[in-house]
Amino acid sequence: MIKNKMNIFLRKFTSKIITGNKPTFRACSSDVPQFDMENPFEKEKQECLLCKYNIEVDYKNVKLLSQFQSPYTGRIYGKHITGLCTKQQEIVEKEIVKAQSAGLMATYLKEPCYLKDPRLFDVEKPIRPHRF
Amino acid sequence: MITYELLMLLRSVPKPELKTILKRTANAIFDKGGFIRKLENLGTREMPYKTSAHGVVYDRASYFLYEFNVPPSSIDKLFDEYGRDIDIIRRRIYKKKEAETFECTLHDELQPPPYRKNVQDLIAEARKLDKPKFKYNTGLDYYPFQK
Repeated sequence: MIKNKMNIFLRKFTSKIITGNKPTFRACSSDVPQFDMENPFEKEKQECLLCKYNIEVDYKNVKLLSQFQSPYTGRIYGKHITGLCTKQQEIVEKEIVKAQSAGLMATYLKEPCYLKDPRLFDVEKPIRPHRF
Repeated sequence: MITYELLMLLRSVPKPELKTILKRTANAIFDKGGFIRKLENLGTREMPYKTSAHGVVYDRASYFLYEFNVPPSSIDKLFDEYGRDIDIIRRRIYKKKEAETFECTLHDELQPPPYRKNVQDLIAEARKLDKPKFKYNTGLDYYPFQK
């Protein structure tokens, strides 16, 4: 910030010395905005739910895993619906398969005890369109 | 040293019998030259799907979790031994997960396609397959003569 202000001041100062207050052609005028500043309109960095709260996904945590499962078919929702980053989605899918294989989690349905859990995402509004 | 997790679904039986089952399964680990770090009871409940084991169909099981270390070469034998135990309905051995750190890439993934890193890589990969173009080496960015 201070450096920027100093730069502008220096430019104005030197332009006066060089031109002697006479309008002459110069490659760089003092009106040129400074583009070396960082983008003030840059959006805040978005993080997925699991990364944001730093949640460890484990195959024994069936209550968490079942939130990524469809109550109608028991299948795992895709990352365009869950809104997870690629890595987290991969981990969640692996852990769900492990839990189902170990007999902790249902495969063709979501277990009725988890049906009233709060929803982490809206299935009807995927962040990217469905492929069908 | 790899720490393993063994998740066992046992037949739901009265307590004294359960004690002998757990002793038997724990001794199997000790016999292989391993040791147990943790034994956790995850409760007795209805299974999410019924399972047929040793000719009987079960829909209720006691869940137990062992955390243990054994030489990796004896994991197969251990798994096989538990498979022959008629009190065990289902068993799975997994490696214990270690916490890994990584950057969340969601922000990059939500960008329009040309700005995404993986799409840019794909384009660069496709450019490699382009036919080689003849270079005139004239120092001009256009062809100076009539074609």
